[in-house]
Amino acid sequence: MLFFSFFKTLIDHEVTVELKNDIQIRGVLKSVDQYLNIKLDNIQVIEEIKYPHMSAVKNVFIRGSVVRYVHLPANAVDIPLLEDATRREAANQGAKAK
Amino acid sequence: MSFFGAGASRHNPSAPGFSHAHDPFASLSNRNDDDADALEFEDTYDGLGDQLEETGDAFNDDTFGDAAGPSGAIGTDFDFFSSTAKVANVIEKEHPRFGRPHEPASNQQSTVPAAPRVVPQVSAPQPAPSYGYGSSASHKPVRTGYEKYKEEPVADLQIDASLWGVAPKKSPQPAPSATASAQPAKKVLSLEEVEAQLRAQAKQKQHQQSAAPSPVPLQAQAHAPAAVHYDQAYQFQQHVPPQVGPIPQAGPGHAVTILQRPLNQQGPPPQAQIPSAPHPLQHPPAHVQPTQILQNANRLSGDGARFNAPQHPAGPIPTQPAHRPQGSFSRQPPIITHPSQVAQLNDEEKAAYLEQEAKRAKRNHKIFLMSRDNGLMTPQDKNFVTRIQLQQLVAATGNPNEHGTDEALAEDFYYQVYTQIQGGQRQNSNQPLNNFAQTYLFQTGGRQGMRRHHRGGPENHLQRMEQQVQRAVEAAKNKPKNKQLVIEGSLGKISFSNAKTPKPLLNIKRPENAGDSNRPSSAHKQVPKTGDRKSELRCLERIYTTLMHMEDHDRAMPPPPGSDADTDAVQKFVAWNSEAQLLNNELWTALRVHDHPEPNHVHPFIALLSYSKGMKAMQRIARHLTPEQRTTILTLIVVNLDSLEVVRNAQVSEAAQLSMAMRENVELFSLAVMSTLFNILNELDLDLVAGMLSLICQRNVDAIAKSRVGASMLTMLLSRAEIIKHGGGGTEQAWRAWDLAHTRFFDFIEPTLPHMFPGPVTASDDVYVWQLLAALGIGASPDQQQRLVLAVKDRVMDTVALSKTLPQDLASQRLQNVNLFMRSIGLDVELLQ
Repeated sequence: MLFFSFFKTLIDHEVTVELKNDIQIRGVLKSVDQYLNIKLDNIQVIEEIKYPHMSAVKNVFIRGSVVRYVHLPANAVDIPLLEDATRREAANQGAKAK
Repeated sequence: MSFFGAGASRHNPSAPGFSHAHDPFASLSNRNDDDADALEFEDTYDGLGDQLEETGDAFNDDTFGDAAGPSGAIGTDFDFFSSTAKVANVIEKEHPRFGRPHEPASNQQSTVPAAPRVVPQVSAPQPAPSYGYGSSASHKPVRTGYEKYKEEPVADLQIDASLWGVAPKKSPQPAPSATASAQPAKKVLSLEEVEAQLRAQAKQKQHQQSAAPSPVPLQAQAHAPAAVHYDQAYQFQQHVPPQVGPIPQAGPGHAVTILQRPLNQQGPPPQAQIPSAPHPLQHPPAHVQPTQILQNANRLSGDGARFNAPQHPAGPIPTQPAHRPQGSFSRQPPIITHPSQVAQLNDEEKAAYLEQEAKRAKRNHKIFLMSRDNGLMTPQDKNFVTRIQLQQLVAATGNPNEHGTDEALAEDFYYQVYTQIQGGQRQNSNQPLNNFAQTYLFQTGGRQGMRRHHRGGPENHLQRMEQQVQRAVEAAKNKPKNKQLVIEGSLGKISFSNAKTPKPLLNIKRPENAGDSNRPSSAHKQVPKTGDRKSELRCLERIYTTLMHMEDHDRAMPPPPGSDADTDAVQKFVAWNSEAQLLNNELWTALRVHDHPEPNHVHPFIALLSYSKGMKAMQRIARHLTPEQRTTILTLIVVNLDSLEVVRNAQVSEAAQLSMAMRENVELFSLAVMSTLFNILNELDLDLVAGMLSLICQRNVDAIAKSRVGASMLTMLLSRAEIIKHGGGGTEQAWRAWDLAHTRFFDFIEPTLPHMFPGPVTASDDVYVWQLLAALGIGASPDQQQRLVLAVKDRVMDTVALSKTLPQDLASQRLQNVNLFMRSIGLDVELLQ
């Protein structure tokens, strides 16, 4: 749940989602679910010339499984907290794996 | 309202047919009934039909097509049948053949081969219904949803027809068939022919309306396919009203067949049956009902569904059992109950009247269509579905009651804490997380006040549902989670994914004993070795884990007991404190402050500070330590100042710049550790500060002073003493110790002074050096000041010279830095210019 938890904090921030088919979409993250499906608003495709069919699209729902990267807004990430959250997640997983 | 001598109470008002909405022809068909009864009925009619709303017709055209148009109104929807009619005809023709053997038994009227099906109906009206079902069941095509359209009216027609006993008006077409002589001709009418007639009728509707205001054309308009039955059934019923009850259950094609047959055979004779009409009338519905339910032809006709259809025109039925056939009334009255009136109207009025009637018929039919799925789900069904949905929601978002608790924190730590930290921005940190669940669960709770007043059904459901959801959540929580399935012979477990852990599909099972030493977490428990990066990092992780435990523990701090009398609170507090003490010990051990360094190795604690992780941890560590522990740490750092990585490996020189990584480390150390140390130092008394300065003197002062971190540390110590001096603190003895240490320190640092600067004079980040010089200068004796000036004179002069070549703002910046030192010894750069 760490990633879900993390992405929830990025709601209403602008992110760039890079898909596995190389399309990069920048938009405001509107929602995310436990499958890391992503809803973006006010989107803009990075290489618009290359993907003209996307130019009319204003918002998208992206299935989590097709996402390669999400470029984060650095100032919206609390790094020490994220480190701690990672430790907790590891501890949880460790406890479950036993 | 007992027309037939049967008490209304004995009658099942919800039986299909009795309350069907549409049956404009019912009255027409019963011409053989006693007229007196009809008149009686008319008197009892309460005119509910006139109260119909005439609004809400907006979508009539959508429902019925543009049926109001005079021609082409019918469309070809019912032509559906034309292709199947051939088959239907064959079947029809075959019936006599199969039926023949029964003929003798049935006899009575049947001179025509088609009899068998009809025979039992006529001779024994009561069994007839089931007979009809049987036959219909075998021929019934797969339901398309279209049949209903045709069947419904038939059912109404027959039952109602005999009920009202109103002398029907003859419609042009059916009229001839009413006579026995016409019947043979009627018999040969195939479905296509009927439909053709129907189309023709629709075209001539206007004429017909004026000439003979038969409802048939009207009906044709609204229920084109149904009208087929109307025509046939209409004739039929004139002769054998009772038997036909079950027929509506028959498949569409078949219904026609059944209806047609009797006409040919029976003629007037069955009228002998009419006196007994009431019985068949009352019974067929009883039979029809279960069949309909079984067939699920139309849930609307089930009584439950019917009662649940408030918008249905038959709505009043449950409440007014006396008028049970109200559904039929609603459309019929004007036509049927006032046939004479219609006749008296002039053409124009008639047209208007009929048009209105048509509208009503359409509307009622539309309502019927819309409401036929009413009650498809019982309240229990809905409840069940809602419960499932809510459970999903709860599973996905967690129990709203549990947010902020440890469990939520464990699963959703980052979000929970982040939103708390950013709390100012979000009004309700939990809101985005579980707003649906809350909406569902708590919104209904908010209605409780209302619920007290109305113990209504839906409210009750919500309440019950709410409880059920809570119970479901409880149960889910209590149920041991069986998340994995181990298949024999497989290497791993198969995990069931759920909302919270979407995809751990394979989970390799660890060998119980063997793998333990490989696990990083278990390594924590081993006696830590020093000097190797891995163990140091593990040590750091252990510190962090302990820190998190301590922070969790802090959150669970009970309020300090108000008084000693509150033993429970006191006990809690004591327990909490001892737990906190344990954790503190754990942290202190993890810090390894008291460990002794191996020879040629730096102190283990100092080693931790060479990792950025370790530096970052300092602030949090300091928060959880006692003042003594903090002082110990500070002392330890001061003692090992020259072995700190950021001192040891960050020596400034004229030649080389520090590496990028080292500069980052130095920066981080200054930010994360120095501020902590500064805070610790600010709590210390002069004797301790003096002690530290003398400790430094035992170390490599040159190395310390030549690093940024070391120089800042020295500045801190010196300025702390200066602040204590300004505050008038410190004992005589402490001051003497300080002066001693300072003098000694000055001697040590003096040779290093010219070499402390980072890089050549052009390097701009030398402010910390000037700060150290200033700190030295303030506390220096005149003699020491002299030596200071001599030591750094070159640098001062160079900087002043350089500043003349620099842009204004940069120049003033550099001069200000120099001035820090100059002013501390009572000089100013201005004097040098």
